Amino acid sequence: MEQKLRQEARALLEQNKVDWIIGFEPGSLKFTTTPLITRDKADTERLVINPFIFNNLADFLTETKGRVGIVAKGCDSRSIVSLIQDNKVVREDVVILGVPCPGLIDLAKVEGLTAKDRDELDEITRQGDKVVVKVGGQKKEFASNQVLFDHCLACELPTPQEYDILLGEPIPPAPNIEASGKNIDALKKLTPAERWQSWQDELSRCIRCYACRNVCPACFCQRCFVEESEPQWIAPMPRWQDNLIFQITRNIHVAGRCTDCGECERACPVNIPLRSLTREMYDIVGELFKFKSGMDKEALPLMTHYEQEEAEDFFR
Amino acid sequence: MNQEAEWEPKLLGFLCKWCSYAGADLAGTSRKKYPPNIRIIKVPCSGRVDPLFILKALRMGFDGVLVSGCHPGECHYQTGNYRARRRVAITKRFLEYLGIEPERIQASWVSASEGGKFAEVVTEVTQGLKEVGPNRVFSERRLNGAKTKAGSTSTARAKQG
Repeated sequence: MEQKLRQEARALLEQNKVDWIIGFEPGSLKFTTTPLITRDKADTERLVINPFIFNNLADFLTETKGRVGIVAKGCDSRSIVSLIQDNKVVREDVVILGVPCPGLIDLAKVEGLTAKDRDELDEITRQGDKVVVKVGGQKKEFASNQVLFDHCLACELPTPQEYDILLGEPIPPAPNIEASGKNIDALKKLTPAERWQSWQDELSRCIRCYACRNVCPACFCQRCFVEESEPQWIAPMPRWQDNLIFQITRNIHVAGRCTDCGECERACPVNIPLRSLTREMYDIVGELFKFKSGMDKEALPLMTHYEQEEAEDFFR
Repeated sequence: MNQEAEWEPKLLGFLCKWCSYAGADLAGTSRKKYPPNIRIIKVPCSGRVDPLFILKALRMGFDGVLVSGCHPGECHYQTGNYRARRRVAITKRFLEYLGIEPERIQASWVSASEGGKFAEVVTEVTQGLKEVGPNRVFSERRLNGAKTKAGSTSTARAKQG
């Protein structure tokens, strides 16, 4: 798959079909990758595909000018489709190199299972349905649903629906909503006040670095409401009240665009379980408006559209 | 305890210029009685109401927010109220999930001829807010002391001031 990607990427640049290639190259730390954005065809040799291609590269589409060849997992392809719906990206200007993705490996979960730091692990490989971790000469096997990211467990689209070149065999979707929604279910069992308290505790840690906003392909506003000064909606100082308003509003803004790619939670430096917010909004939108983001590029964006009769029950 | 007896909910109403605001006007001119707990902001259309307005109002200490506009199909701008409906719907559901009492976010359709309905809506909403108690969602330690009936124990929470 990697070889094919490198060939295709090189060919795209050589034939001048694209100006830019956006993909992944190995990161400076173990088991990491970093986005590679290049116009140099020699760089395509560095492109990789592995279970650690975390970033949602669709985020860079709105920032690159010209035609772009982009490596996209299922969730990334949904984000790209969502950007096309919003007229942020022209379909013809993008060459989607689709990667069928069986799920990304959450290093925190591996660390938890092996009780080792990620630097001490020697190798993590995927073998069919199992994930094999080599540590200190020993081999440990885990079922993939033990070590995949929560959002990957609920993945509805492992193989991109919208692509120009598919780099592997399609993978059938097998969403395991129950396993991926454990945190949300636990929260829903609490009383409202306890739930609010738990968010208050979580958001008290927020340092307002805006990593969640910056990695999010759906957060594409030129100017974010948090930086407005007239009126100043929330104080720039990270207090939990304002942090919470920031997160609530961010989630409302990306409703119908969020594809549950889980990037915000992964990017959070203080481990706030942001996916418990985004996934709930994803479910609310699905339930109220039967809307699934990023599935159909012809569909109208959620908030620009309406039905005559819907969501009427709470109106007096 | 005295504090609780004196406490009156503060309700912020976003009323659309074409229907609900005129409806409120009619309620006044036809001398309908309704609680004075509502503070009204006139908006050009219910579609103008950004979910951020609702959050900001709760953050500033309003006990509840009422978004009111023209009935579906009667919007002066054709579609504004339909859009408002989607926005308020997701906002309300999401805030409920986070743990804000659903009674605090209210919406209604009130036309310019429905002065009576406006009075009714405000009465009902105010009554609902009285039952829920003061808005402490953005104050520190909301849970503290509210162990008997979490989320709606106004006595315990009123003590915190």
